[in-house]
Amino acid sequence: MTTQSVAPPVLSTPETHIFEDPTPVANTQNEPRLSYDEVFDIYEVARTAREIHTGGWRKVALQFPDDMLRDSPVVFEALEQELKKLSSGGTKVRVEEKLEQNLTNLTSADAQSLDRSQERHRLYVLADTSYGACCVDEIAAEHVDAEVVVHYGRSCLSPTARLPVIYVFTSRTLDLDPVVSVFENTYPEKQEKVILVADIMYHNHIEPVAKRLQEAGYKNILAPDIVHDPSSLIPNRKIDIGEAEMKDYSLFHISEPLPALLLTLSSRVRDFNIYPTTPSSSPQKALQSNTAMSLRRRYALLTSLSTCSIFGILINTLSVKNYLQTVTDIKEMIERAGKKSYTFVVGKVNAAKIANFSEIGGWVVIGCWESSLIESTEFYRPIITPFELGLCLLPDEKRVWSGEWKGDFNSLDAVSLEGRETENGAVGDVEEQKETGEDLDSEEESAPPEFDLRTGRYVSHSRPMRDSPSALSAAANKEGEGSSAASKVLTRRAKGDLALVNGAVSPGAQYLNTQRTWMGLGSDFHETEGSAAVEEGRSGVARGYRVGEAGEGEKR
Amino acid sequence: MVNFTVEEVRALMDKATNVRNMSVIAHVDHGKSTLTDSLLSKAGIISAAKAGDARATDTRADEQERGITIKSTAISLYGNLPDDEDLKDIVGQKTDGRDFLINLIDSPGHVDFSSEVTAALRVTDGALVVVDTIEGVCVQTETVLRQALGERIKPVVIINKVDRALLELQVSKEDLYQSFSRTIESVNVVISTYFDKTLGDVQVYPYKGTVAFGSGLHGWAFTVRQFAQRYAKKFGVDRNKMMERLWGDNYFNPHTKKWTNKGTHEGKPLERAFNQFILDPIFRIFAAVMNFKKDEIPTLLEKLNIKLAPEDREKEGKQLLKVIMRTFLPAADALLEMLILHLPSPVTAQRYRAETLYEGPPDDEACIGIRECDPKAPLMLYVSKMVPTSDKGRFYAFGRVFAGTVRSGLKVRIQGPNYTPGKKDDLFIKAIQRTVLMMGGKVDPIDDVPAGNILGLVGIDQFLLKSGTLTTSETAHNLKVMKFSVSPVVQRSVEVKNAQDLPKLVEGLKRLSKSDPCVLTFISESGEHVVAGAGELHLEICLKDLEEDHAGVPLRISDPVVSYRETVTGKSSMTALSKSPNKHNRLYMVAEPLDEEVSKEIEAGKIGPRDDFKARARILADEHGWDVTDARKIWCFGPDTNGANLLVDQTKAVQYLNEIKDSVVSGFQWATREGPIAEEPMRSIRFNILDVTLHADAIHRGGGQVIPTARRVLYAATLLAEPGLLEPVFLVEIQVPENAMGGVYGVLTRRRGHVFNEEQRPGTPLFTIKAYLPVMESFGFNADLRSHTSGQAFPQSVFDHWQILPGGSPIDGTSKVGQVVQEMRKRKGLKVEVPGYENYYDKL
Repeated sequence: MTTQSVAPPVLSTPETHIFEDPTPVANTQNEPRLSYDEVFDIYEVARTAREIHTGGWRKVALQFPDDMLRDSPVVFEALEQELKKLSSGGTKVRVEEKLEQNLTNLTSADAQSLDRSQERHRLYVLADTSYGACCVDEIAAEHVDAEVVVHYGRSCLSPTARLPVIYVFTSRTLDLDPVVSVFENTYPEKQEKVILVADIMYHNHIEPVAKRLQEAGYKNILAPDIVHDPSSLIPNRKIDIGEAEMKDYSLFHISEPLPALLLTLSSRVRDFNIYPTTPSSSPQKALQSNTAMSLRRRYALLTSLSTCSIFGILINTLSVKNYLQTVTDIKEMIERAGKKSYTFVVGKVNAAKIANFSEIGGWVVIGCWESSLIESTEFYRPIITPFELGLCLLPDEKRVWSGEWKGDFNSLDAVSLEGRETENGAVGDVEEQKETGEDLDSEEESAPPEFDLRTGRYVSHSRPMRDSPSALSAAANKEGEGSSAASKVLTRRAKGDLALVNGAVSPGAQYLNTQRTWMGLGSDFHETEGSAAVEEGRSGVARGYRVGEAGEGEKR
Repeated sequence: MVNFTVEEVRALMDKATNVRNMSVIAHVDHGKSTLTDSLLSKAGIISAAKAGDARATDTRADEQERGITIKSTAISLYGNLPDDEDLKDIVGQKTDGRDFLINLIDSPGHVDFSSEVTAALRVTDGALVVVDTIEGVCVQTETVLRQALGERIKPVVIINKVDRALLELQVSKEDLYQSFSRTIESVNVVISTYFDKTLGDVQVYPYKGTVAFGSGLHGWAFTVRQFAQRYAKKFGVDRNKMMERLWGDNYFNPHTKKWTNKGTHEGKPLERAFNQFILDPIFRIFAAVMNFKKDEIPTLLEKLNIKLAPEDREKEGKQLLKVIMRTFLPAADALLEMLILHLPSPVTAQRYRAETLYEGPPDDEACIGIRECDPKAPLMLYVSKMVPTSDKGRFYAFGRVFAGTVRSGLKVRIQGPNYTPGKKDDLFIKAIQRTVLMMGGKVDPIDDVPAGNILGLVGIDQFLLKSGTLTTSETAHNLKVMKFSVSPVVQRSVEVKNAQDLPKLVEGLKRLSKSDPCVLTFISESGEHVVAGAGELHLEICLKDLEEDHAGVPLRISDPVVSYRETVTGKSSMTALSKSPNKHNRLYMVAEPLDEEVSKEIEAGKIGPRDDFKARARILADEHGWDVTDARKIWCFGPDTNGANLLVDQTKAVQYLNEIKDSVVSGFQWATREGPIAEEPMRSIRFNILDVTLHADAIHRGGGQVIPTARRVLYAATLLAEPGLLEPVFLVEIQVPENAMGGVYGVLTRRRGHVFNEEQRPGTPLFTIKAYLPVMESFGFNADLRSHTSGQAFPQSVFDHWQILPGGSPIDGTSKVGQVVQEMRKRKGLKVEVPGYENYYDKL
């Protein structure tokens, strides 16, 4: 039966589907555009130009988050004008500029031959940051050989490794009256100890608010300044009081804080009140935040990984100071726990990229303190922060969950050191057991399984790398002893059938061997499946075919 | 003093034909532990005076305090037959001498602890079923009997508490006979319902000696055989003939001096032989002693050949009665005789049990070893439970040697429940440190234990959570994993009062999980430490253990909550479609309900992922009306690869389908573990993959694209198929006198209960009410019932099935079910509203 084929069969996806970016697009269409003067103000063009000028930098990268990108031409132009003004004030050099995009491959080293003061300022706009918009994208800046990066918009203020940075917070406007009245409603008591913190984009309003509150009679108000230190008691704020004292303070936060900040602070202050700045809401009282639930979910997440045997280290930054050191530290930590780690760089994290590696039981993300907290149920495997990994790798009898939470990996040292000590202890135990075991029989005994807290079952082989080194070294010793005699002798294959890649135990290959049913083309072809036996067909020419044996003679 | 030594026991172990492994099973409060006492006193483990009150096998303080057994306790006894003649009555199996080793396990009767019974039954070959004369066969009697027969365990019955019938109810002889006869009849009804061809007919008959009558409290019991023996001499007939005459419609006509089976002689009623020859002496003793007819007693005693110690003669009333009866008909003698004569030895039992015990092929060395009960075969040992030691946190692995011999220092392969031959998951190698003999609360070291015996092992507790197989054969499969009749459906979450105590709690939870065959401890997605048990009492005991013993730190314990399941009640209203993140791949699926019977069979392990797919397809097609092609194309079970949800491939000619199977299966496991409605596990849903479009390049259809998509499409299909919430339902059996029935009905109605059976126990004013009661409504049910019936109603609840939570759709936030869902989501820290299917559904 033939049906009329109207179109060729679809063998590929139509082109309309190609290159769709799965990440949500920042919607800025309905917001009014800023005028030139506003831009000049908000983007602090004058200050930026001054700093660039005093720093003597010639190549400047301007980094915009996606939602501010449409202001970039205006900022670019304004900054250019301003710089021209400043430099023409000193020397009389003709400056001409051309609008250029960030990814233009520039190899102009010719500038070096010129006198630096004579050199014109080259500005570059950086867009589409590799990781989070809150971090300085040093790699993109290095593509254009920039000497300084101007970072616009909200920032995590993580210290950078290579380049100097000028931060422009692009402050937002805020009506102070409702803030003060909400504050008074929230804290009727004038003696209340309160720390006043705002999101970086609203930070410039802190001082006036504090002043008005002090005038209103509040005596115990702290209004900490910005410092570039995410591991401070309040991240990126300068605070003079100690941790114990801070427990007495309530925290009043202007605008919605990021989840990472909430989790970090919730255990450090008495309570946490939020003054939302989203246009729709105008509350009478500040919202009390409750992080107990999300902290508990984090706890569930990290305990579920305590028996995970393979970790993926996900690099989500290329600029935060010490990130390479941290990667090494974490690798070591995982190795000490007898587990396997693989390192990944995938660019911006999304569920699809992560789910490509189904061997990995859990992910540790190394990024700036704000973007490390990836909370979504969309991910196939849990993603935790280095701090949480530290807790996760602790043996069960050491793990304490007090509600303390850190997003910044630079403040991790204490935990990881602790982990190191205890791990050594645990290893000692195992060795002890091995010794007692060897008294009884020479064959090696297995390590006991571990209790998976998440499911309440025993999990075997949660530390694949623990038993293997000893086994391998033992094997190596034997070889060393009898290398002359043993060369002809067949060696018995290892009992556990561990998958080896170049002599190293590879849990990843192990996974391929045992868990996957699809092993590549041809692996799903089963010969046994009822195919008909081959039969001799007809042969010959059309005049007279011959069937079977009789046709034999006709064969060519 | 104990009248046997470990050496004697060890010597008997070698004679496997003279070993009897048996458990004592019954409904709660029918007197198991009390009866066991009389056996222990015979063995000299406790004094005769204390027997009946000591309940020596209740080794825990709270067991003594509450008067119920919580853990099953094993004890080894030495028993012998008085006469070589008796050996001839052991039919169908060999014996070697008159000395016997009896490994006895006393088990709990409360339904909440049924898992302990299951663990006990696995390691024994026979069961002593205790039935209360007055209460008769109750729900738990039936449950344990069914379990026993399922394990191919031969039962014998003792009808207990006969003294109550005589003293409290003052029944006549004929009434008592009728009551006995009815009880035996109902036991036999249960037995024949679960008839197993291999085990043969195991119904019990007094005239065969498989039924005893007695009083555990007073320490006396008898079998028809014992009386037959007495009278055989007197009448000069064969004992076996006598036995038959002493039960049923057999009468001795004193006028003609002949036996007859007619109840009348010349219009006058005759007395039944059982009443005349057996009950009469007992009734007379009771009448004489309780009515203080002191002068009659000595003559009676003389007639019956009973000699009392001088100090006992001074006693009066019940005390005297006890002493006389105990001397006249010692319970231990009757029981031992019945156990030794009628229960199978390991040699006999393992011959027919091997095939149900072993997962592997019936002709490999391990299975042959089990069938032959061969002490020289490779070791096959099943660990059925863990018994706490005095050393905190360590356990004895309690189990039975089915083949081979286990000794201290032997290096064994420890195979956990998830072990599959050839893989290394759940497989450990370890030397056994010590082997011990379990003696109630105490243990005695022993060098080695041959096949057919029960023992405790030291040094392997770290490797097994609850149960497992030990072997020395590299090719051995597992011994079958036990299936419990109860499920942990009641949950409570615990947290430490002081954060620093967390490690202790975690350690405690691990230990708790080990110490009980049924309890489950885990951390929920919302970060709570959850303890799940079979019922309120079970949880209460577990949490008490946890707080006082295993963790030893103060805890905050939440109110009990019920775990729900997500399901669907219809077929997806349209085909669910989801596209991969890169839009290059599409999955089309529909969800539909799975037959309840299929779900139950999956949960019972009758249909499972490990079965041969053709055999499984046959069962599904023949018994459940599946299409054979569909049945053969079941991709997987979920959650946890063995749950009651199925993924069926109904696609036709899809290229690269095999390549994405792993990814779809991963997505399926993920989605069924956390459903779309409230992140509860799914149950009883069948998903059909209708079509799949895939990108031609492998790189664009990797796990990253397919796993999240599979999850999304499964969610969309579920939400499109009239989702529902399943709640667990208890089967409650309540024994209550007629006058208090109104109260029972009132309480049940208020708690959404639904009575489906009401029966009067013949001869008593007691009614038995059977009802279904949602677990959610069962919290505080017992107390409520007690207060509304002035303590006259005794309920027993056991998990029975899952049922759709009535009251609307879980998606609709205004319905009753919707509220439950929202409450649950709030507790878990999720967005309150259930996301609509649009979140997971992509338009074409």
